[in-house]
Amino acid sequence: MTSKRQLLIAYGLAIHLLLIAIICYAAFPQASPETPIRLMYHTAAGKVLFDHDTHTSATGYGNACADCHHHPSDEEEALIACGDCHQTPPEGEDFPESCLDCHDADEIEGSEVVGRGDAFHGQCIQCHHEFEAGPEDCSGCHVL
Amino acid sequence: MSSRKQLIVSHAPFWHNGSGVPERSYHFLLAALPAALMGLATFGAPALAVLSLSVASAIGWEVAFNYVSKRPVTVADGNAAVIGLLFAMVMPATTPWWLVLLGTLLAIVVGKQIFGGIGANPFHPVALAWAILFVSYRPFFDFDGMLVNYNFDFPAAYPIAALKAFGPEAVAELPLLDLLLGRQTGGIGATCGLAIIAGGVYLILRGFIRWEIALSFIGGIFFTALLFHIGDPTRYASPWFHLLTGYTLIGAFFLAPEDSSSPVNFAAMLIYGALMGFMVILIRNIGAFADGVILAILVGNTINPLVDKIRPKALGKVT
Repeated sequence: MTSKRQLLIAYGLAIHLLLIAIICYAAFPQASPETPIRLMYHTAAGKVLFDHDTHTSATGYGNACADCHHHPSDEEEALIACGDCHQTPPEGEDFPESCLDCHDADEIEGSEVVGRGDAFHGQCIQCHHEFEAGPEDCSGCHVL
Repeated sequence: MSSRKQLIVSHAPFWHNGSGVPERSYHFLLAALPAALMGLATFGAPALAVLSLSVASAIGWEVAFNYVSKRPVTVADGNAAVIGLLFAMVMPATTPWWLVLLGTLLAIVVGKQIFGGIGANPFHPVALAWAILFVSYRPFFDFDGMLVNYNFDFPAAYPIAALKAFGPEAVAELPLLDLLLGRQTGGIGATCGLAIIAGGVYLILRGFIRWEIALSFIGGIFFTALLFHIGDPTRYASPWFHLLTGYTLIGAFFLAPEDSSSPVNFAAMLIYGALMGFMVILIRNIGAFADGVILAILVGNTINPLVDKIRPKALGKVT
C-alpha cells in the first residue's frame, strides 16, 4: 500500500529531476575541446585510442604541435586534424577533395597524399622507435 | 525445533511496523546515492544530466504504462526511481538523452511491467535494458570512446577494457587503492568501490539485500580469478583487480541480489552468487567481452528458478 504523500514524492522527484536534466543537457552539451584530450580512431583493424594530451602537455612528452601537424607549417592557429588531408583519394583522382578547400587543383598537381592509416603508422611507429617508448606492434594500439 | 517460542503467534489486531515497499525503495536510493555522488564528482554536469533524466524518465514511463494498461499508478512505491538511478549508474556520463529514454523504457516496460510489475520480473530490469542496448549500440558502451573529452588526473583508459586488449601488464601499475577510491573511468556510479561497498553493507545490515548472494558473487569472482591468476599471471590479472574494476561491485550489491530475480533459499543463494561470479571471470578472461558482470547476472537470473529448487526438506510427510 502506498500513500498519497508517497505518490507526490515520486511525481515531485520526477518533475524536478526532469528540469535539472533538461538544463544540464542544454547547458553542457558534449562539445569537443579545441585541443583534443584523447582521440578514438575507428579503423578497419579495430579502434585506436590516442592520448593527445599526454603527447603534447609539458607533464607528458611535451611535443610541439608542428612535430606531427606538419601542414600547413607556418601558422599554429591553422592546425588541422590529420584525417582532413590524409584521406584516400576518390577513384581516378590523385588527391582527396579536401585539398581543394585551400589549394587550386593546378597548384597541387602531381603531389601525393598518403591515407590516414599509412600516415599514422609512419608517424607513430617511427617516433616510438626513435625514442624507444610506446608500442610498435599492431596489438599495442589496435583493439579489436 | 529447538525453540518452540518461534511458532507462537499473537492474535489480531496487529500493529504495522511502518515498513513497506516505498521505504525499501528509499533505502535503496539512499544506499546508491554515495556512489552516484562520487560519479558526479568525477564526471560533473553531464553525469547529473544522465542521472536526473534516468530517474525522471523511469518514473514517467511507469506512469505512462500504468495508464496504457489501465492499472493503478504504481510509482509511489519508488521502485521506478531505483531502477532509473541504477540504470544511470551503469552508463557513461556522456550518454545521449535518447539512449537514456530508451534504456529506462526498456527497463521499466520490457524489464518489469510486462511481467506484471514489481516482484514479478524474472530478470533485473536494469541488467536486461543494459544488455539490449549493449548489443544494439555498442559504441555507447565503450567508455574509452565515450569519455575522450574528459581530462582526468588518473589513467583514462577503462581498466577492464585495457586488461582485455593489452593484458595484465597494461594495468599492473594501477594502484588498487586508487581503484577502490574511484580514481578510474567507468559507469557514473560504478567507479567508486568504497562508496558502493558502503551502500551495499548498509543494505545488508538493514536486511534489504541478502549477504549470501553479494558475498558468494564476490567470492565466486575472487576464487575463479585467483585460479586463473595462479595458472598464468602473465595472461590473467589478479583477483583484486577484478573485484575493483568494471561492474563487479555494483553488480554484487545492487544488481545480483535483486529480490524477484534471485533465489530465497540459503544454499541456492550461495550457488547462484558463486555461479555468476564464476561466469563473470570466464567471460572476462576467455570470453569475447571485456566485462561480463551484467551478462553473467542475466544468465544467473535465468537459472534462478532452477537453483531455487534446492530447498530445505519440509517437516513431516505427505500421506
